[in-house]
Amino acid sequence: MTAQSPNDASGLAVRLPAPLVAMLRRRDSNVFFLLFVLVAAIVFFTIQSPYFFSDRNAFNIGRAVSITGIAAAFATLLMISGGLDLSIGAIMNASGLAAAVIMVDPENSIIFAFAVSLGISAFIGFSNGIIVTKIGVNPIIATIGMQFVVRGMTLATRSGSALVRNRTFLEIGQGELAIGTMEIPVPVILMLTTMLLCYLALRFTQFGKYIYAIGDNASACRRAGINVAGMRIALYTLSGLGAGFAGIVLAGLTGAGIPYAAGSELSVISAVILGGVSLSGGVGVIQGTLLGVLLVGVLKNGMTLLNINANWQMVVEGSVLMIAVSLDQLKQRI
Amino acid sequence: MEARPALETKDLSRYFKGVVALNDVSVAISPGEVVGLVGDNGAGKSTLVKILSGDLEPSSGQVLIEGEEVHFRHPRDAKKRQIETIYQDLALCENLDIMENVFLGHESYRNPLLRLLDRRRMYRETSQLLEELAIRVPSTRELVMNLSGGQRQATALARVAKAGARLIILDEPTAALGVNETRNLLDLVLRFKAQGKTIIIISHEMRDVFEVTDRIIVLKRGELIADKLTAATDPDEIVRYIIRGRD
Repeated sequence: MTAQSPNDASGLAVRLPAPLVAMLRRRDSNVFFLLFVLVAAIVFFTIQSPYFFSDRNAFNIGRAVSITGIAAAFATLLMISGGLDLSIGAIMNASGLAAAVIMVDPENSIIFAFAVSLGISAFIGFSNGIIVTKIGVNPIIATIGMQFVVRGMTLATRSGSALVRNRTFLEIGQGELAIGTMEIPVPVILMLTTMLLCYLALRFTQFGKYIYAIGDNASACRRAGINVAGMRIALYTLSGLGAGFAGIVLAGLTGAGIPYAAGSELSVISAVILGGVSLSGGVGVIQGTLLGVLLVGVLKNGMTLLNINANWQMVVEGSVLMIAVSLDQLKQRI
Repeated sequence: MEARPALETKDLSRYFKGVVALNDVSVAISPGEVVGLVGDNGAGKSTLVKILSGDLEPSSGQVLIEGEEVHFRHPRDAKKRQIETIYQDLALCENLDIMENVFLGHESYRNPLLRLLDRRRMYRETSQLLEELAIRVPSTRELVMNLSGGQRQATALARVAKAGARLIILDEPTAALGVNETRNLLDLVLRFKAQGKTIIIISHEMRDVFEVTDRIIVLKRGELIADKLTAATDPDEIVRYIIRGRD
């Protein structure tokens, strides 16, 4: 018999140095790895294309990922707690359309448009939470059902395309904010602010601690006196709110209430998983999600600059996700 | 006049889809008493414990705390009455560290409005608490997933001590422990007893039960079979009750 490490339950005969094992076991171990891959991708595209490495292109990437990023920040909180929301894309469309339709009438204020859109989004998310926690429907089924309901209702109530002319509203998606000498796109600032808030919540508050705790052992949390159902409902509501906010930014970017976001929940979820959140909950950090979102954005942008067609881009995107998840699975064996 | 019981049940029953898990069980436990709850698998011990800790609602009957009837609908309700339970699976979060588990549900805040956690204070208090309880762990920052069975148990016990319980329920506490760890646990139970806490301990280990309890209650098929002072009985008699029921 050869000597095996005591933790080697899988038969994978590897023995890694202790500091490396300790690093891989950290809650945010993916962050180091993703950062490395992201830098490698940036270096690769910089060498391959003269257009890649510039402020302008960086902001293009930022603008392209910001909508996914905003929704992904809240989806990260939900998924760390062990939840899942497949109605994100449908909510984005419903919210964006509602905001655009309201903004078509110049009499209406932006605040009113925000209130209605976010109200609808929060209500949809809250309904998801009730169906999952109080009735006990599996989150995948519950939120797919919700996706169909919301998508159907959005398409049914859409009365032609709603072109928005309100400058301030369009600024949300198209504007830039001068910070120092740089003109940073507003959606990028919104995404980074959203992520920062979610980061602070996860890192420093009781709410954040309970998100991790519930993701690991919900029954233990209940028995510790925590209102687990209430937490879950809050997280589904937040996921809906995040998707709704992303939908408004998208409407500002396109200048119209066009349901472009159908299916975007899969981009959001894959970015979150790429960032190191496990579908079974309990692990992951917002920094990982940010890097996951950025990595997908850099790959898409770089491949476009290299004239790789969209079909092959999809193949690469899917492969990257599968490789990341496989590595994560292998990591659990050490 | 005799002191009111710390805990009393009257004709407590629980059915699961027609199966009787607990049938008209009436017990009274005095303040500061250590009571052993024994019985074979399926005797109703876990059902009784779940009802007392708010994890399960009874089908009928009453639970009284210091003479006052209570209705627990959530474990939170039992905790409000200072009943703390150490479950067989310990109910710990593996991805949190020792301090975070000890304070789970009892956090201290730096800012109560935002619920900003006062981690420094909680680490300090956890260290003090573990020292008081003579529990040794590598570090209060160690994740529970890296702890041994005994260290996990110690973490669960520290949580109960932290919560300031008056009634402590221990469900099969020694089942997963080694010899030394069992010794430490029994010492800790005796220390809790010396502090005047009321304790219910479920165990299959007659030696442990006879060492720490004042009284032993035997359940069989959901019914109360015997309720004996520990000093007035012996392991053989208790085992006979467990196996054969009432003579």
